[in-house]
Amino acid sequence: MADIVTIRAEARDRAGKGAARAARRSGRVPGVIYGEKLPPVLITVEPRELQQLLHRKGFFARLLNVEIAGTAYRALPRDVQLNPVTDKPEHIDFMRVGDKTRITVAVPVIFEGQDRSPGIRRGGILNIVRHEIDLVCSADNIPDRIVVEVGELDIGDSVHINKVALPAGTKPTIARDFTIASVAAPTAVREEQAAAAAAAAAAATAAAEAEAAGAVAGAAPGAAPGAAPGAAPGAAPGGAPGAAAGAAKEPAGKGKG
Amino acid sequence: MLSPKRTKYRKAHKGRIHGEAKGGTALNFGNYGLKATEPGRVTARQIEAARRAITRHIKRVGRVWIRIFPDVPVSVKPAEVRMGSGKGTPEFWVCRVKPGRIMFELEGVPGPTAREAFDLASAKLPVSTRVVTRLGEEAI
Repeated sequence: MADIVTIRAEARDRAGKGAARAARRSGRVPGVIYGEKLPPVLITVEPRELQQLLHRKGFFARLLNVEIAGTAYRALPRDVQLNPVTDKPEHIDFMRVGDKTRITVAVPVIFEGQDRSPGIRRGGILNIVRHEIDLVCSADNIPDRIVVEVGELDIGDSVHINKVALPAGTKPTIARDFTIASVAAPTAVREEQAAAAAAAAAAATAAAEAEAAGAVAGAAPGAAPGAAPGAAPGAAPGGAPGAAAGAAKEPAGKGKG
Repeated sequence: MLSPKRTKYRKAHKGRIHGEAKGGTALNFGNYGLKATEPGRVTARQIEAARRAITRHIKRVGRVWIRIFPDVPVSVKPAEVRMGSGKGTPEFWVCRVKPGRIMFELEGVPGPTAREAFDLASAKLPVSTRVVTRLGEEAI
């Protein structure tokens, strides 16, 4: 667990949107401290100080000391409301935690060994399914990060929660063996595979048609062998995709009006 | 280019874009994103041009998500046609974008590369944009 950071706050006397807006107009961020079955404390914090903390990894998994006029509250950040356009914080929730409080907390995941992974070295992409994992743990025992080793993953492999060593006393909130990350094939490889599959399918179709044509030729010798195999492979792949793509590109009902 | 498979109605009103985005304002997939900071109508062509600019700059490593979809048909009247006689024919698709909307997300590339890619993409779009970073990642 990381060291506890202190954030300075000031008490505010009124609740509600009018008071919160007044706090914002005065250049501060309104917030609240709740929990532990005690009355909530209304506060304001300095936006710059909060912004710096927000961009630290695992902000929501880190205990803070919220200091109001000499009184320190041991609290966990639970929610931050951000302006949708500027992404500046507009409100923050802190939850008081006691020594024995058990809480659900989103712990950030760190991926190690990407340079050793054979899949990534071959051009694969680490597809992160979960950037954070929700864990149930005691407030004194919040891990600051979960390290996931991806050094042995090849293209198509994935790493699940059961393969990850979680710190003692913590338990994921999701009971099943969920995926944390996988190594996906790069776009170039996927395109090559798709092209190879299309070519194989075309070849199989051509072979089948040639066989059918051969059977017909057996019935009427001299007519079919030259015509059927040559026509089939070129016609089918070239015609269909172009026509389908053309139809999809136009807005619905174009040409009717 | 993106377009709906089928629609309930062929033509739509022009409409006006008011207010700020109330959804799709946070990064959901990647570590970096391109956020609109003004309202506008982004066409399917512009989305495709921006996507190409991003994928070509990142040299096909990493992963790109497109978080907007052009589902509004725009109709145009033919040239040299007098006013009246009904609405024109649908010609292209647009997406109405409000400020705050994440339009593209990117993962699997270093921060500076992501910023360069988004700068190129932004030049293809009709709205002003801002590059955003996931909370807990260093801002680029």
